[in-house]
Amino acid sequence: MKPFNWQKELGREGHRLVFSGQPFAMHCHHYNINLQKMLEDALGSSGVEILYSAAEESGFHNFSFMLAQFTNIKTLKSKIEMASVIYQNCGLGIIHFQEIGPQGGRIVSPASHHVTGWLAKHGKRDTPGCHFLCGWIAGVMAAVFNHHTGFYHVNELSCKMMRCKECVFEVTVKNDD
Amino acid sequence: MTIDGQKIIHAVMEGSQIRESKGIIPLFGVYLSIFSTDYYNRLSFEFEKKMSLLNLKDKSQSLLVAAAQECGYATFQGIRNSWEWDEIVLPMIATPEDQIQGFTAVAVAFGWGDLNVRQLIPGKKLVVRVTDSYEAGGYPEQYGNATVGKCYMLRGVTGAFMDLIYGADYPDGCFTFLAQETHCRAKGNSYCEFAAQRSPDQSVT
Ligand SMILES: [Zn+2]
Ligand SMILES: [Zn+2]
Repeated sequence: MKPFNWQKELGREGHRLVFSGQPFAMHCHHYNINLQKMLEDALGSSGVEILYSAAEESGFHNFSFMLAQFTNIKTLKSKIEMASVIYQNCGLGIIHFQEIGPQGGRIVSPASHHVTGWLAKHGKRDTPGCHFLCGWIAGVMAAVFNHHTGFYHVNELSCKMMRCKECVFEVTVKNDD
Repeated sequence: MTIDGQKIIHAVMEGSQIRESKGIIPLFGVYLSIFSTDYYNRLSFEFEKKMSLLNLKDKSQSLLVAAAQECGYATFQGIRNSWEWDEIVLPMIATPEDQIQGFTAVAVAFGWGDLNVRQLIPGKKLVVRVTDSYEAGGYPEQYGNATVGKCYMLRGVTGAFMDLIYGADYPDGCFTFLAQETHCRAKGNSYCEFAAQRSPDQSVT
């Protein structure tokens, strides 16, 4: 059985940067925030959906791959702990899963790359802006509870980009209508 | 002077292990994130697809290049003013042209591909070749063969490198140069190649 140690998971295959064998890249807040602004300015809510889905799909595939590799990570507690450790060690921020179960739950983020990056580049927003983290949480939750992407819906209730105290996310099961 | 790319990769890998209390990676004067190339590909190509349905395909491509160029311009300005650059890269730099080599070595370290400077005409033109761009690798897997180049991020970044060396002083020099992708693996070429030249409205006559 392979123990999980993120420092060992991040490495290189020649010029490629890999995380647990999957191709990753380093990008700075300028690029991440420019992409978000571009999507929101050009397409409004459909742009937000593109960002959310991209984070959900890739988060789901990455995390499912990790769970398949680290078969000793079995309990819900250890799975969500691995998710938080990965998020933090990818420089994306700090997240605390709270009251998590198959029907959803609540997640709090006191600090993140996107919040710091957005505030540095554009200042306070009037609407929640952590679409990346919403999508990523939806993907990770689907992987943890063995569902397909799109099973969960993640809504950001308060956001530090609006100068709220912390970012708070609510996860619910999406109604198929 | 020759730029030691391995030394830069080593420094980036070491530096990227540092987290401040907010879970953020401050390195080379910017906040770095580490995430899957699959995410960036989905985001860019789904944006392009959606914009195409609105007959805005050309606009989507120029927006994607501009997002990367503006980022490359700010990021590499931060990078060349950082203590890490002074300590690790600067001792290897003798000419402005070496600085381009330093920039491409940092881009390789970031996992953007195997960037290789093929031609540099000071003040006029930069040609960068990449045989393993993640955009070119990812596009055909999802969408089949492309008819035009798909490496918008590297196109923007190639322009930004020239802007920083030969454009007006920061922050006024962005978009002095524009890069075209003359070859792309996504459309069947064996490598991607980017040629940055002065923007049409910035040409020195
Ligand atoms: Zn937020
Ligand atoms: Zn290409």
